Amino acid sequence: MTSTIKQQLSSPGGILKFLVKYNTIFIFVLLLIFSALISDVFFTSANLSNLLKQVSGIGIISIGMLIVILTGGIDLSVGSMVALLAVTFAILVNMVILPVAIILTIIIGFGLGSVSGYLVAYQKMAPFVATLALMTIARGLGFIYSKGSPITFKTPGGEFMSNFANNATLGIPNIAIVFFIIVIMAMVMLRYNVFGRLIIAIGSNEEASRLSGIKVNKYKFLVYAISGALAATAAIIVASRTNLGSPNMGMAWELDAIAAVVIGGASLNGGRGTAINTLMGVLILGLIGNILNLLNVPSYPQQVVKGAIIIFAVLLQRFENK
Amino acid sequence: MKNSENEYRLEMTGISKSFGVVSVLKDVNLKVKPGEIHALLGENGAGKSTLIKILSGVHQKDSGKVVLNGEEINPKNTHDGQVLGISVVYQELSLVNDLSVAENIYLHKLGASKFWMNWKGITQDAQELIDSLGFKIDASAKVRNLSIVQKQVVEIAKALSEDTKVLVLDEPTTVFDPNDIKKLFNNLFKLKEKGVSIIYISHHLDEIFKIADSITVLRDGVDTGTMAAKDTDKDGVIRLMIGRELKDLYPVRDIKIGDVPVFEVKNLTAKDTLVHDVSFSVRPGEVLGIAGLGGSGRTETAKLIFGADKKKSGTLILNGKEIKTKTPVCAVGHQIGFVSEDRKEEGVFLPLSIRRNISVTSFKPISSRLGFLNVDKEYVNVLDLIEKLSIKTPSSEVNVNNLSGGNQQKVALAKWLSIDSKVIFIDEPTRGVDVGAKIEIYNLINEVAAKGVGVVVISSDMPEIMGIADRILVMHKGTFYGELQKEQFSEENILRYSIGEPLKQLN
Repeated sequence: MTSTIKQQLSSPGGILKFLVKYNTIFIFVLLLIFSALISDVFFTSANLSNLLKQVSGIGIISIGMLIVILTGGIDLSVGSMVALLAVTFAILVNMVILPVAIILTIIIGFGLGSVSGYLVAYQKMAPFVATLALMTIARGLGFIYSKGSPITFKTPGGEFMSNFANNATLGIPNIAIVFFIIVIMAMVMLRYNVFGRLIIAIGSNEEASRLSGIKVNKYKFLVYAISGALAATAAIIVASRTNLGSPNMGMAWELDAIAAVVIGGASLNGGRGTAINTLMGVLILGLIGNILNLLNVPSYPQQVVKGAIIIFAVLLQRFENK
Repeated sequence: MKNSENEYRLEMTGISKSFGVVSVLKDVNLKVKPGEIHALLGENGAGKSTLIKILSGVHQKDSGKVVLNGEEINPKNTHDGQVLGISVVYQELSLVNDLSVAENIYLHKLGASKFWMNWKGITQDAQELIDSLGFKIDASAKVRNLSIVQKQVVEIAKALSEDTKVLVLDEPTTVFDPNDIKKLFNNLFKLKEKGVSIIYISHHLDEIFKIADSITVLRDGVDTGTMAAKDTDKDGVIRLMIGRELKDLYPVRDIKIGDVPVFEVKNLTAKDTLVHDVSFSVRPGEVLGIAGLGGSGRTETAKLIFGADKKKSGTLILNGKEIKTKTPVCAVGHQIGFVSEDRKEEGVFLPLSIRRNISVTSFKPISSRLGFLNVDKEYVNVLDLIEKLSIKTPSSEVNVNNLSGGNQQKVALAKWLSIDSKVIFIDEPTRGVDVGAKIEIYNLINEVAAKGVGVVVISSDMPEIMGIADRILVMHKGTFYGELQKEQFSEENILRYSIGEPLKQLN
């Protein structure tokens, strides 16, 4: 790996090629330098840990989004799932002991994702349609169970979670550690694990995979279920950060997750995309928001900048494919 | 009785299969011995693929019996088939572009394997397998970056990765040049010696007679019997396939060729491909053949002229006037047609109806100024072309993916005839097309030429290009290496030019 990088750098025009190939990392580093130059509070540990805390929730659902997109699908339900599952977790944490609440929430997330997975894999519904339906159902259920208002943690278990979510270990916020562990698990899975390779195979050529005796439906079902479980994980984290579960959480997060995956160079047709690049996508989006906040740019222009960055990143990938 | 049972590796007897009300196979028998190369022939739609898919487990038979090594088998899916030692190389490339060569070769094992990937092991095994086939491909490369020829090799390696007892090859050589075909045949002979039973499906009858021991012909879902290859000949097989006499595969050409070229190319050089300094002209009524090995730049030349690739320099002259074709839109505007070799990806719109496919290049003559279609005109135009090309379809509204390969090709051609093209480039006109449809396509090419169109046919099929072309240009490494007049046509001459050798001097 290192030798190929060296070769690339030493060949004529190599530096440019290298930058184009690893463009997400390049953009990320560029943004980091830019941020550091433009604002003196940026490189304070308070700001950086704040940034990491902000992106962790969306980051976790982005990993779920990545594996769904790798199969050629899409999961629009994750934002609403975060809301429903945050409410669910808040209810559970006030009812049962903490480990049970956590496990139950993740199981329920897995179950909700399974519904999308079942519709897509076995009922041959278009992923966009199936998860769109799940999106409104989940949001609606969130409002029904919470009766429209946030549910606060009232038990010691809730207090423990709140402490966990707002503290740091070795200077890194705990919830960011959870996010990074999930990224590393995804990286390992997509490279060294058979399940990960088969997901890529299915997204790249579903018919060929089927002809090779791969149980395509099973894997398509599973990626949505896993995406649901990751949405549950994200929900637990964001609920714990604020000490409550609200049906308004995760609004439009599915779009940010898709944006992160796309900035990370994944193809919406499936088969292409990596966890490390998705991590970069998440960090890039987070950085933009962070630096614009530091510069006191209001939120509407921020959205415009975000969109422009998405276009820029995807255009840059066009070079890579040539 | 017992002896005859042991004599065959594979016995398929009385196989019948219907899809809905359509009966595809009726009481078909196919018996293959160990170490035998058995050709399975038939026109497209005769039921060859269905029979193979029943064997491999993709489809389930309605009745009949499949016996492998004396035991009845019932593969429920392709994995079952593979475990039993039945491997199929499908006609449509069935590789996964985003995985490595090694992963593709062992994909069927991945589905059933343990938790972790054994990268080193599969890459090493795959490399050995490919090397043993005599081709040069890096097993750790991504399939996306391979050439189509290399992909086909990977496909074959994939079929051989199991302990294969029955190997089925469905049109394996369509993308191969003669050299590669020779290598493939050598490999098949090796497998044959090892006792592997090979079922070989091909429309290239020359190939069949080079390698097959026995031949079974299917016609309309019924087998017409099995015979030894040495007891029959091409004409005999063709007769069985189409059920009628066939005088000559290639129609007699007796068309007046104009004197003034309709289209000239001068010193054309590509920006991104290997094509350079290409010059030629084609006269009205002429069928110009372009031959050459795979990768010599034939398709790229056509794409360059058509504006699909970028040009660096060169001039195009249509009817004496210089034209520019920066994009395919320009080319279509100048009435230059291009029928792609990759029919499914670049030639037709599979999920659309025949009518929509044909109309797509010719909206102008059938629509009003504001862009509304005149549906009556469209139907007249489309039905006329369907009839002229004898496209076999119940109506113009049938989706193209329901047609056979030959009929799809006709639709692709019809698109360009509907704009009254002046020059048409046809890349591999009969790839994956059965004999009956081939003749129709050849006739069609002649008809088109007779109208004064300059037709340029690119083909790897040497008998075909010699059969239909008036003149052959041979490409070698991106430029024309030599030109052959009709009296010089021979496989040897084409091959010599293809590999950059001069012709043998006649004493």
